[in-house]
Amino acid sequence: MTKPAGDRPPKIDGEAGAGSPTDVDVIAHLTDEIVPALAAKLAATGLGELEVRQGTWKVRVRRPDGEGGRPTRRAGDRPSRAQPGHAGHGHAPAAVEGHRGGRPAPAYSGNGSQPPELTPVGPGPGTDRAARPDPLDVDPHRGVATSPAVGVFQPGTTARAGTRVRAGDRLGVVDMLGVPQEIVSPVDGIVGATLVEAGDAVEYGQELIVVELAQRPDHVG
Amino acid sequence: MIRKVLIANRGEIALRVLRACRTLGLEAVVAYSEADRESLPVQLADEAICIGPADAKRSYLSASAVISAAVVTGCDAIHPGYGFLSEDEGFADVVRAHDLTFVGPPPEVLDRFASKEATRRLLATHGLATIPGSAGLLEDDGHALAEAERIGYPVLIKPSAGGGGKGMRMVRSPRELESAIRICRSEAKAAFGDDSLYLERWLEDNRHIEVQVAVDRYGNGVHLGERDCSIQRRHQKILEEAPSPALSDDARLELCERAIRAVVAAGYENVGTLEFLVDRDGNPYFIEINCRIQVEHPVTEMLTGVDLVATQLRIAGGEPLGFSQSDVVLRGHAIELRINAEDAEHEFRPASGVVERYLAPGGPGVRMDSHLYPGYEVPPFYDSLLGKLIVWGRDRDAAVARARAALDELLVEGIVTNVPIHRALLSSEPFLEGRMTTNLLDRMGSAAFLAAAGRT
Repeated sequence: MTKPAGDRPPKIDGEAGAGSPTDVDVIAHLTDEIVPALAAKLAATGLGELEVRQGTWKVRVRRPDGEGGRPTRRAGDRPSRAQPGHAGHGHAPAAVEGHRGGRPAPAYSGNGSQPPELTPVGPGPGTDRAARPDPLDVDPHRGVATSPAVGVFQPGTTARAGTRVRAGDRLGVVDMLGVPQEIVSPVDGIVGATLVEAGDAVEYGQELIVVELAQRPDHVG
Repeated sequence: MIRKVLIANRGEIALRVLRACRTLGLEAVVAYSEADRESLPVQLADEAICIGPADAKRSYLSASAVISAAVVTGCDAIHPGYGFLSEDEGFADVVRAHDLTFVGPPPEVLDRFASKEATRRLLATHGLATIPGSAGLLEDDGHALAEAERIGYPVLIKPSAGGGGKGMRMVRSPRELESAIRICRSEAKAAFGDDSLYLERWLEDNRHIEVQVAVDRYGNGVHLGERDCSIQRRHQKILEEAPSPALSDDARLELCERAIRAVVAAGYENVGTLEFLVDRDGNPYFIEINCRIQVEHPVTEMLTGVDLVATQLRIAGGEPLGFSQSDVVLRGHAIELRINAEDAEHEFRPASGVVERYLAPGGPGVRMDSHLYPGYEVPPFYDSLLGKLIVWGRDRDAAVARARAALDELLVEGIVTNVPIHRALLSSEPFLEGRMTTNLLDRMGSAAFLAAAGRT
């Protein structure tokens, strides 16, 4: 029904910390336990890259080039069947907000052994699931501000099409039980289409406002 | 009356609640985290809404995200399932403040039963024996040492809030006690946000037996028999069955009748479970009440034919129970095997990954409650329960035979499961003779247990 994210094996960077002795046990532990765990976690989280530090060692697991790093929607997402979402599921904020003040690392809830502490260090990729054509997936020249919460969409004055904004600028709020949650621009650019009506109910991660990139980079990702 | 329910949980229990809603003709919305976007309850739901990221603190444990989701989708009730927000009286309060119905006991009832220590005292006044324990919560080390001395070692340190074995330690000496208390306090603080502890006498070789009750808001209450949950690993239940092989019919009836009388008198409402430890001499001691649906509820459903989740919804909606004690007939024997994504060969390390192939067993008296499907990716963020295999038979032997056949039929590939421990259990002498106690697996060590069962 679904395929695991990333058919190609993740690339692994192992680097010794400054001046650390090469310790066979540490390496064995890293390669036998930490790396497979990281790879599994990477596949499950949709993040582009994960890094774990243990003592003076650090391991970073990254998806193969070309799979990550670009602000995209998740291809293959069904349109939301929730009443609030008529614009389809948004991508995880990870896609465009990986750099926004540090998303908390995935937390274990429930049983047993604690995993190593994970630090997401990069934006997540789209997955390589069977794609429904979607202009947002193929256009690297725009970002999409997504909903930070489940609630009611209230665009701000900066959300008017044509407004020049910087990454991190506030574009409006999602009202969650009376508590406003800020919608921020993921990129420097010019505000484009708003995908949801003011006053609509929106879900977490739903795409709300398109921002066309101010500078067109030759290469993104 | 409830019309539309937000299901604020995941996995097999979200699916179970969805099915109950459909049976009752209620609309249902499945609330999910980003990690559960592809999950079966989300796919089967008529309506689903993403409430937050994978981190449960910002999704399934976020009261505001859950309630906001209920409000914007036009729900009038929230079913919390088990775990997460299910026993949070503060959450139930806020749910009510938004004119929504919490599917469970009303907030003031949850409040009354929130502290285990206070609940023991309350139900003791209504005729339930409790394990000798500390008078009140532990103040400091000096107080703890004095209380432990009075109760007699070994003692069990327990957190006043929460359950599931977190913040719990058995100690055999004053020297162990001091360091164990520090560990328990920090575990309890981390797990439940409350580090109050109390002590109980440790009962060697005890059995864990619990009584299922249902009470409507008009004070009509019934018990639905007991379940024996003695097969545990580190305080986590693995296999549950009913009736308990350790109780005679007379002892069962007396325990269940005492339990329902006590909770009705104490003003309990909705579906709930009273947990007892039963010592070697067959004396039951009340330990705690669970004010929610439990993982092992299907055991009782198989025995009684009562849909417990539908009963929760009906009672929360203000309906009378609709049946009396004489309508509750306990028929045959039922066994539930918890299928977990755990490596039994390696200290039950939790696993995640893609389920490549999945086939649920079937046939008469076989029920599989699971959210698995081929291609499903088990996320690493939540607990390791993949599903529950429940079997029913005319008697215990027939149920065991069905459990073995069903387990052979169950196919889960791509992810490691604890099926080997179930195979071992179903052919082990202590289980077949009904002699399992809560500490047996831990005392033998699961590796030794697997090896011993492999030889027979």
